[in-house]
Amino acid sequence: MDRNNIIKWLKFPGEMGQKYSLHALYFCTGCGIIEIPPTITTRWDAERFGVIPVSTPRQANLFLITGYVSVKTLRYIIRSYEQMPEPKYTVGFGSCPVNGGMYWDSYNTIKHLDKYIPVDGWIAGCMPRPEAVFVAVTHLWTLIDKGMANGYKKYREEYKQYRANQEQILGELEWPFLF
Amino acid sequence: MNPEIILAVAFGGALITYLSGKISKRIRDVVAVAFSLSLVAIVAVFYNSESQNVFSPGFLDFPIVIRIDDLSWLFAVIISVIGSLSVIFSLNYIRNRGNTDFFYSMLLLVIASMTGIILSGDLLSFYLFWEIMSWSTFLLISYNRGPAIAAGIKYIVMSVSGSLAMLVGIISLYANYETLVINELAAFLGQASSGYIIFIMVLFFAGFGIKNAIWPLHVWLPPAHSEAPSPFSAVLSGVLIKMGTYGIFLLIFVIIQINIFFNLGKGLLSPRYVIAIIGAITIIIPTFIALVQDDAKRLLAWSTIAQAGYIVLGISYCTSESVAGGLFHFFNHALFKALLFMTVGAVEYRTGGVRDLNSLGGLIKKMPVTFLGALIGVCGLIGVPLTNGFVSKWLIYKTLIINDSPFLAFAALFGTWGTILYSYKLLHNIFLGQLPEQFRNIKKAPFSMQLPIVLLSIPVVLFGVLPGVPLKIINNIQSDLGLDALNISLWGVVSDTGTINLFNIIAAILLIFIIIWLLFKSSKRPANVDQYDNYAAGAAVPVNKYNYTVNFFDPVYSKIIRYLKDFADVFYLWLALCIERAGNGIRRIYSGDVGYYVIYIVLFMALLILIQINRALW
Amino acid sequence: MVALVFETFLVVLLACIIGLFFLGLARKITARIHWRYGPPVYQPVIDIIKLFNQTSMSHGVLFELGILISLAGSVVVLLFLPFARICPLSSSGGLLVVLYLMLISPLGLALSGGESANPNVSIGISRKFLLAFGYEVPLLLILLAVMTHYDTISLSEIANKQISSGWSLFQLPLILSGIAYILILPAVLGLRPFEMIQAPQEISSGPYAEYSGKFLAFAMIQHAFDLFIGISLFVNLFLGGAGNMGYFFIKMIIVLIIMIFVNAVFPRFRIEQAIRYLWTWPASLAFAGLIIVLVVN
Repeated sequence: MDRNNIIKWLKFPGEMGQKYSLHALYFCTGCGIIEIPPTITTRWDAERFGVIPVSTPRQANLFLITGYVSVKTLRYIIRSYEQMPEPKYTVGFGSCPVNGGMYWDSYNTIKHLDKYIPVDGWIAGCMPRPEAVFVAVTHLWTLIDKGMANGYKKYREEYKQYRANQEQILGELEWPFLF
Repeated sequence: MNPEIILAVAFGGALITYLSGKISKRIRDVVAVAFSLSLVAIVAVFYNSESQNVFSPGFLDFPIVIRIDDLSWLFAVIISVIGSLSVIFSLNYIRNRGNTDFFYSMLLLVIASMTGIILSGDLLSFYLFWEIMSWSTFLLISYNRGPAIAAGIKYIVMSVSGSLAMLVGIISLYANYETLVINELAAFLGQASSGYIIFIMVLFFAGFGIKNAIWPLHVWLPPAHSEAPSPFSAVLSGVLIKMGTYGIFLLIFVIIQINIFFNLGKGLLSPRYVIAIIGAITIIIPTFIALVQDDAKRLLAWSTIAQAGYIVLGISYCTSESVAGGLFHFFNHALFKALLFMTVGAVEYRTGGVRDLNSLGGLIKKMPVTFLGALIGVCGLIGVPLTNGFVSKWLIYKTLIINDSPFLAFAALFGTWGTILYSYKLLHNIFLGQLPEQFRNIKKAPFSMQLPIVLLSIPVVLFGVLPGVPLKIINNIQSDLGLDALNISLWGVVSDTGTINLFNIIAAILLIFIIIWLLFKSSKRPANVDQYDNYAAGAAVPVNKYNYTVNFFDPVYSKIIRYLKDFADVFYLWLALCIERAGNGIRRIYSGDVGYYVIYIVLFMALLILIQINRALW
Repeated sequence: MVALVFETFLVVLLACIIGLFFLGLARKITARIHWRYGPPVYQPVIDIIKLFNQTSMSHGVLFELGILISLAGSVVVLLFLPFARICPLSSSGGLLVVLYLMLISPLGLALSGGESANPNVSIGISRKFLLAFGYEVPLLLILLAVMTHYDTISLSEIANKQISSGWSLFQLPLILSGIAYILILPAVLGLRPFEMIQAPQEISSGPYAEYSGKFLAFAMIQHAFDLFIGISLFVNLFLGGAGNMGYFFIKMIIVLIIMIFVNAVFPRFRIEQAIRYLWTWPASLAFAGLIIVLVVN
């Protein structure tokens, strides 16, 4: 708890709530999920940061894209991301969402996740250690404080481009336009 | 005013409806509704008046007594109101079937005969009207043809057996006391021996118990109520069962007066406790059976049997609060059970006859008024505070606990939780969950069906908030019969062993609800999402398949389904099979061969000659 | 009249604060049992603030009304439970009304969840009702034993009588009922091993699967009130109520800590195992307790 900001939080308590209570969607997108159970259990305790896993996108506001994103998984990632309530933050976890990582020349993986959903932060590594997750969380707090973690607003404003990119790679989408 | 006017209007209405049906359908509709509403009006005129009319030569040289007092008035109100609402409901329901004149006139005849039962002051007219009610009900249960005919036959066989037991009782009473007028019989039975009283009670109880669907005698009810047309199911469950209750009430409190009944037998073997225990069993077993039903109307039919157990428990426990609770529960149950049958009937009408709980769902978006009626009916059935079911059940529980019968109280309280389970299953499988695609374009229930639903929901909530209004009438009945009157106010019941004050409860609930609602409204408005924008782990929601309705209480089914065969039903079928086989055997005497007949005659003559030689009888 | 309204607000506010404190304390103690640090004790408050700040999605009118009815039902039950001699509505019905009002909140949750059109929610609701059906058998027998022993149906009278005659838990006729109540207390509170209604790994949070934003906040507040009501009922019936609030709070904390210890160590039962357990051991103990009370009185 940052004591300097107590006056600001008494006026806008929502901002404190967004930072210190990040509920992560427990959606195992790829092989990177193997690093999440150690992070949330006893040895590297994520709950002291306020990060707990939840099972449905309706209850979550942090989406960790762990590991590579195949084309098949991208459909589910987009749907889950759209079902999350705002404000929501996305963190790319591992090298594969950043630039394709180990699968940089595969025909079936997404090399630049940023074209399809907005991503607020990246953690490089294959796999990143749990301490890297904590660095990412605290870095996300700094971004939220500065007002720079605006992925969800960007998605709302530039939805047409995102949707065009999604349809280009996935073909026909069965859900209607969101905005 | 003479009470025969009520009977004249009722029976005349049935006849005139049938005749006007020959002229035109519209005139018949108008005539039917007019007669049933005028019956309500005439009954209302008789409020708080006691009168009696004796026709001396009467029928078969017996005097016929027609009387009305507070008890009859209470029953008459329920019969006429639910009857008229059911006639209004069936205006649209029966429109496209055949034999509609027959339907309306039979419905009015059933209502008329029930009115006759409660207005009769001597046992002969009681029996006459009872029989008219039995066979007209049978004709109407079998209206749908198909499986309804078997259901009707089961009903009529059991009902006639009960009526025959009653007839034996009536004949025995006449043979002993030479009169059938109820008031005079009450005076005579005051000096009878307790063995004779118990004999009469058993005989009459067989008849009334079959009609009231007490546990071993209930097997006719589930098929009959589920196969009958829905507006008539409302009348059946709401009112017809209560004719048995009226009979039991008459028997215990008017014929055998209360002080004799209270002191019959000793300890646990007294009729008071035996009937109460039978009532408690009637609450528990049908509640469990209702949990595993898949047909909406059959679930409601089993629920009726369970609630009738509450009424019998209350009445036979014989303290002033329990009798008040039992009578009030009869009044409430008629209201909300008719309401529930009407909502299920509306759903059945609009979806083209679908009553199967496994294939409906999500109809709240299409039929909101029907859902609201069903919700209020279900809340009344469970006994949520602010509905009338709560007050009547509270009275019954309190008196059972205070008078040291905690096991009966446990049965009653546990029955409530079973009721919650199956009522929620009914509500969820019909109205909540995913809307199947084939029902996407159904329309709302028509106005002639919405009107009775709304009109029946109002008293469920009104008498829950102001229970003093019906309790005042029940107090009058109780003081007529020698029980203490309850100390009631408009908002509740006051007594030194625990009071209930609904004004506080409703004020608290309203205040808190308003505060929470204000808190809710002050935060951001929610976005509305479709039913297909749902959590399915990121996949598209499967159409028509994303619904949990089959085996709604699955984990409990497998454990208890073994014990939930209807053992009484199995027993009766076995009995029927034995009689059929015995009859089959006896039939072989008539072989059709003249030679056999000659042998029979010769042998019988030889037997007679033998007896004459030995004993010289003639 | 003014005193009544003031008492009502005091009780509701205190119950909310204490309930949320209990939720946070539960998470902290569980974490310490797991040899980790755990969130700060005021974490549920932060969660609720965040949830009110989020947008929410609603499936219809009943979806919104149901959760309000559920919360209103829980809060109304509070007014009938004596909280250290403060009981605003003590003369309006007693223990039977409490039993009945306690079923408004699962019903509200069930109506709201049913409108979500999600089978996970429906499965969660069916488990919730079945669990309640399961623990009602021993609970009713226990409550009937207590009511028959003290010969009253008013909760504040039962609490007051224990001040003079000692805790119910240690009075001889009621010992078996007390033990049975301790055995079913995790089921009443919804803690492990009877936590199958939420079961995030099996049915994705059961009834709470489609709640977002302020609906989830209300659901959490309702959970806090439920925890308070469950523990308060046990303390009033069997641990003697208390003369002043501090003593009552200490008793509630001790009960909560014991339940948290059980919660941290056990896995969750399946629903049929839970019903089988609840209908055999605690039910037989409660039944025996009721017979003993009847024989003694």
